[in-house]
Amino acid sequence: MASPQSLDGNAALADLLARTALADQRAFAEIYRRTSSHLYAVALRILGEPAAAEEVLQEAFVSVWHHAGGYTAAKSQPQTWLTSIVRNRCLDRLRRRALDTVTLTRDNDEETEIDLPAEGPSAVDLLIAGAEAHSVRACVETLEGGQKQAIALAFFQGLTHAELSRQLGEPLGTVKSWVRRGLERLKECLERGGYAR
Amino acid sequence: MNLSRPDRAARLDALAAQYALGTLSPAARRRLERLARADATVAAAINEWNLRLAPLAVGIPGIVPSPRVWEAIRQRLGLERMPSASSTPWWSSVSLWRGLALAGFALAFALGVTLLAPVAERPDERIVVVLAGQDAKPVLLVSADRGGRFLTVKAVGPLTVPADRSLELWALPTGQDPRSLGLVSASGIARIPLPSPAGIALQGSPALAISLEPAGGSPTGKPTGPVLYTGGVNNLY
Repeated sequence: MASPQSLDGNAALADLLARTALADQRAFAEIYRRTSSHLYAVALRILGEPAAAEEVLQEAFVSVWHHAGGYTAAKSQPQTWLTSIVRNRCLDRLRRRALDTVTLTRDNDEETEIDLPAEGPSAVDLLIAGAEAHSVRACVETLEGGQKQAIALAFFQGLTHAELSRQLGEPLGTVKSWVRRGLERLKECLERGGYAR
Repeated sequence: MNLSRPDRAARLDALAAQYALGTLSPAARRRLERLARADATVAAAINEWNLRLAPLAVGIPGIVPSPRVWEAIRQRLGLERMPSASSTPWWSSVSLWRGLALAGFALAFALGVTLLAPVAERPDERIVVVLAGQDAKPVLLVSADRGGRFLTVKAVGPLTVPADRSLELWALPTGQDPRSLGLVSASGIARIPLPSPAGIALQGSPALAISLEPAGGSPTGKPTGPVLYTGGVNNLY
């Protein structure tokens, strides 16, 4: 699935990002032309509202213009980097929306008391570089039904643990453990490189 | 409390993973963001998971955004007016093709095994296309036996078609203009005859699309209205 074409496309995108970092407007416009429909689809999928998705796309590209220099080819493919910017903005918006409109029902996430000390950044960059589309997908295929379903719904529709529990009709604890175990397995699989290329 | 303690590292990793996946509650999400601002280890763990999961989105079929988005970006950043950044017709959009090439995965992933399981037991080779709209929810199911001379179209989601318009189904051959296959009524049910067996008629067309056209279909032979639904052609055995 990672065709030579898409690899070329990624190399070209990396080059365009480098030129954008030097304030090359044409390069920036070209990045938009190449990636906006995919990124828009990602945003729309999570947010469900064209107006909100358009705003996120706009914010994301403004941010890309200002931070293109922060893209490091060694860490991820450009498409991955762009997608993660858009996804995060979508999730922020969804959660903000929830905070604004709903009187907060605690879903008792176990992460209520976190006190993590400061330490140097962990270096897992090599792993990330290898964790591109085909391998992640192959690893997802290895997940059990419930894990796969919960992770897919969360990823593609931006559901929280509590929303997943309602949607899947399963207890919160079950859903949380599907998500947690699924993510653990995904990571293990990626680190092993134990996927069919 | 030291992060090198295995239990703490695992906890951070799990939180970062759930943050990137998006399942944390709003409050937990904010707490972790606060921590990440003050702590590079937390920020790095989040970033790592963001990048690890992002490739999954590759399977989402592209949707061309309104031209006003680029216009707004251009104005906000004070960029020159450029030969439009989105002047390509939707059917030759690179992203559409990249998305569709992998849509089969996204589909199987999103629907779990429910779609594939029963089909796998059928002896005949089938062609199945799930057409989805802007929200990526399946709306129409197009299917055919590879040797059959018609496509069966069935609505699997709500369809709204203005009375004076028609839905037109197109094959999207690689590198060529769309080719009309026929019209789909507002009921979303149609049996569209093909000039040759489906396997041959759809050869070289990795995707299908539905556009909204004037009543009776596009007057030009190419899509004139907006594309409503697209889907990748999947061969099921």
